This record gives sequence, C-alpha cells and structure tokens, in this order.
Amino acid sequence: MAAGLKTVILLSFVLAVGFLLIILSCALWANWLPLLVALTFVLAPLPNAIFSQCGGDEFSASYEGSGPEDLGRFITAIIVVTGFAFPLVLTHSEVITSGACAMSIVGGGLVYGTISAYTAAFKQNTDDYDS
Amino acid sequence: MSLPRSNYDPRRVCLNPFPNVNLGKHRRTVGIYLAGALFALANWTFLDAAILSAHAHPPYDEPQIPPPVHVTFVDWIPGICSLLGMLVVNMIDKDRIRGDEGFGDSRAVWRARLFLFIGFALMAGGLAGSVTVLVLKYILGGYTEQYTYYGYANVSQNVAMMLSAVFLWIAQSASSEYDYNLTL
Repeated sequence: MAAGLKTVILLSFVLAVGFLLIILSCALWANWLPLLVALTFVLAPLPNAIFSQCGGDEFSASYEGSGPEDLGRFITAIIVVTGFAFPLVLTHSEVITSGACAMSIVGGGLVYGTISAYTAAFKQNTDDYDS
Repeated sequence: MSLPRSNYDPRRVCLNPFPNVNLGKHRRTVGIYLAGALFALANWTFLDAAILSAHAHPPYDEPQIPPPVHVTFVDWIPGICSLLGMLVVNMIDKDRIRGDEGFGDSRAVWRARLFLFIGFALMAGGLAGSVTVLVLKYILGGYTEQYTYYGYANVSQNVAMMLSAVFLWIAQSASSEYDYNLTL
C-alpha cells in the first residue's frame, strides 16, 4: 500500500500539532525544560534505524535476527521510555507543572508516532520482494 | 494433528479459556522492546527518588527542620551491581551454554555456565543489597512515607532490572522464525 498524498499531509499535520503542544507546554509556564522531551522523542527512532542496517544483510534465508539489531531495538525502547519518564520525574519533584508534563508527553508521543508511521509507510514500498 | 475442540476437551479445567495470544514471529521483537522498557523504567524509578531527595526542602511552616535522610552513594551501589550483572549475563554466547555436542569443548561450556552464575549472582546481590538498604537505612530509621519511598524505589529498580534481564534472555532464545518450545 503506497503512502498516498492524503496520508503524508495528515502525518505532517499531526507532527505539527505535536510540536505545537510541546512548544506550548514550555511557553505557557515559562520553563523550557520540556523541550528536552521533544529532543528525546526525535532521537528515539535513530538507534533502530542505524542498527537495522548493521546485521540484516548477512542473513538471507534464516532470518534469526542479529545482535546489533537487538541492541538497536533495546536502545530505542530505552529512549522512548525515557521520553515518557523524564517529564513525570520532573513533575514529581515540582520542577515543571503537571499541565506542562501532560502536554509535553502527548506532544512527544505524537511526534514519535508520526516518525514511526512515516518509516513504516515508506518501508513497505521496498520490502515487497523479500517476504 | 489438531487440538480437540474446547467444549469436549477432557484436559480443560476452567469454563472460560485463556485468550490465545499468539505473537508468532514477533515474539523476539516484542520481548526485546519490553526488556528495554523495563530497564529504562527501573533506572528512572531510582532517578526519581534521587531527584526528589536532591530537591527535598524543609516543610514550609517549620523551616528549621531539615529533611532527615537523603539518597547517598550507598543507595546507588545495588543499582550499579545489578547493572554489572546484567552486562555480564548479556555478553554470554547462548549457544555455548547449551553445550551441543561437537560445538564447543566442555571447558568452554563450563566457563560459560560459570559466567552465567556470576552474572545472576551479581543481580541477586544487587537485589539483596537494595532490600538491605531499605530495611537498615529507611525502615529502621522510622521516617515518614515520603522518605521511605527512596528505599522502595531502590528495591523496584533492582527487581525491574532482574526482570528485564530475564525477558531479554527469553526473547533472545526464542527463534523468530519457528514456533518451537521456549527453553531458558
């Protein structure tokens, strides 16, 4: 299923809404720490993308999954949970308010979801002959 | 050979069957993501306690009384021990442990099993250490719930790290292609 034009536009809109939420969560309470949450969620797909190029070419028939690929997934999971946990920890210590925490988590989740959806949508075009 | 139908299967005990969650070939991926999430959750729980302790201030109506206890280096030691144990466990070649004939010589299999023992002993030591810190430093001190939270967060950290290591081991032993039985 090729990613149509409407899908791309919808994903861009959701990404913009996500970034808007994060910037609002910083600006409304004049505390720019939640921007780190945005940075975390933007960095999250990176280990997966880098490590998936590492071990996949050697296995042709037996797709057992390789060590580097597992490490990439492990690190991605760590960064995603960090993105959720960091604002919660800051709110618990009352460094940021709970409203800023909720908005930055939702915004960050939208950003990460959009990036994952983009990767999934564009990966299907090239994998048609393998599986 | 197919399974007998559920309404006259003589081996069934309960009326409602357990839902058949079949992850199939995604078992390995889901296991690894879960292990990573548990690992991050463990460390963030402890960091939450440490940051709370660093930001702890005296109560607003009695500014003379400082917080009685803080998270110190002693609290970090069980976590570091568990982390070392997890690193040791994950560096072991799993094929070496199973000791298939002709694959590796018996001394290498013995050494691999020794490393696994050391790794899990480190993790168990971390868990025991965290319980020790909880009891000796926080519960015996008789503090309010706000301060014993530091001890409980430490124990949760070590439990979650051990679970993460177990999930990672199981996930990596599960082959992603064939659905044979899971061996630890």
